[in-house]
Amino acid sequence: MRSIVLFFIFLMFPALPAIAESAGSYEDFGFNLPALPEPARYGNVLISRLTHSSTHPSVSFSHWVHRQHYTCRVCHFELNFAMKTNTTEITEARIRKGEYCGACHNNQIAFGVSDDTCAFCHTGNLGATDGRFSELKDLPKARYGDQVNWVRALKKKLIAPKQSLLIEDYEPIHFNKVLYLEPEWSGINTLALFPHQQHTAWLDCADCHPDIFNIQKKGTKHFRMDYINQGKFCGVCHLTVAFPIHDCKRCHTDL
Amino acid sequence: MKHKMLFMVLFVLVSASAVFAASTSNNFGTKKRMPRPEEYGNVVINNYSEKNNIAPVVFKHWVHRTKFTCRVCHVDLGFAMEAGGSDIKEADNLNHLYCGSCHNGKDAFGPSSREKLVAEVQNCDRCHSYDKDVKGQKNFNETMKDFPQARFGNRVDWMKAEEKGLIKLKDQVEGISIKRQAIPNPKDFDIKSTILGMPDIIFSHKIHADLNGCELCHPEIFGAKRGATKYNMQDIFAGKFCGSCHAKVAFPFYDCQLCHLKEVY
Repeated sequence: MRSIVLFFIFLMFPALPAIAESAGSYEDFGFNLPALPEPARYGNVLISRLTHSSTHPSVSFSHWVHRQHYTCRVCHFELNFAMKTNTTEITEARIRKGEYCGACHNNQIAFGVSDDTCAFCHTGNLGATDGRFSELKDLPKARYGDQVNWVRALKKKLIAPKQSLLIEDYEPIHFNKVLYLEPEWSGINTLALFPHQQHTAWLDCADCHPDIFNIQKKGTKHFRMDYINQGKFCGVCHLTVAFPIHDCKRCHTDL
Repeated sequence: MKHKMLFMVLFVLVSASAVFAASTSNNFGTKKRMPRPEEYGNVVINNYSEKNNIAPVVFKHWVHRTKFTCRVCHVDLGFAMEAGGSDIKEADNLNHLYCGSCHNGKDAFGPSSREKLVAEVQNCDRCHSYDKDVKGQKNFNETMKDFPQARFGNRVDWMKAEEKGLIKLKDQVEGISIKRQAIPNPKDFDIKSTILGMPDIIFSHKIHADLNGCELCHPEIFGAKRGATKYNMQDIFAGKFCGSCHAKVAFPFYDCQLCHLKEVY
């Protein structure tokens, strides 16, 4: 009987790496966090969906330049910008018609599209806005990312980002439920804190629900640190724009 | 020998399940693509088209919404609430059912009779337009340029458009709809949220009744007795209850505060 069991285990060996990969390897469980760019470049993206096939340099977009003046929902919802670089169907014609960037970059709210202004965005340089980083020097500090505590900056009214482009007196939904999420990982007994209100200040409900997080109680499957580290769930924002998950204690407050 | 066979089978099953786990959809936990304004409410109907070597039909709700109430098609003409659910055949249309009720060459373009079908073949493309660039179709941006804006969906505030007289919706199709008495205004009411702190919903019965009559919602989607039908936001996200329309055609559920607007403290 023992030889049968051993033979079975032996047969399992080739399949083990595949099983480990699907379950997330040990290193993925938070110890292998991605390297962060320097603060002035955190949240900067190079957009080259169409430009790579043309002679124009890619567009450099800086989140921290924009989030001083607009909440996330304005672009990522009202203007239908996707959450992943190069997946938004932006074309020059659509910008000129007032869609996407063109909703503001129309010569009225911000500089418009003309022969003189192309190079403002089409820089091909991820650090195009480095020189403006001192704009953030008076905002409350954070430890990682762009090193600004944006939630506190908003709360202290040091910034007044626009809530909506269409609705003049838009007020975020009043929903201040705080969730305490239990870890699935043995060895960690700290709860992850999730306050709704700090998120609704910037986002609409449907920015996250139901695509990223479905709303069933305990129904969000695979909601684990290794998936977050891969850019899913919280990682959709908290690896790229919002404070990065390197700042463990901001969610796992009693760690 | 028998054992060996058994293990081989077990081994194959274990490896297969591991590979399967690694290869299943990788999109969970990320944001889906939101349709563009001109795409919202468009449905592809392909019950028989491709089987008969013709492009599937692209039906645009926004074109028809500028002319008719929802009730006309979804009650009087008997259209189902999901794409392909009506099982429409060409013969149905030629017999002046479904699309053919209006698209008969008289009230709207279409084959006027079975005999003229071949002569009027250019009309086929106007509906059987999937993946085609068809001339003569209405341009979304042109049509909507003066319409009041909304945040999501078609980005058109259809209610305001009607209020302003930009659209006049027909509620009857001659020869098909029965003459009915106007329904007395049903009462608006609040729908309590089951989650603590979530603003309650103010439901406008009148706005809904104007577009839908009674039959579109009652008794199938919502029972006739108030409070008897239990549903939650999860169901609505899945396209049931309010989601039957508000996930597909009417303003989408992204716009939370259009419904959840009664503050509770």
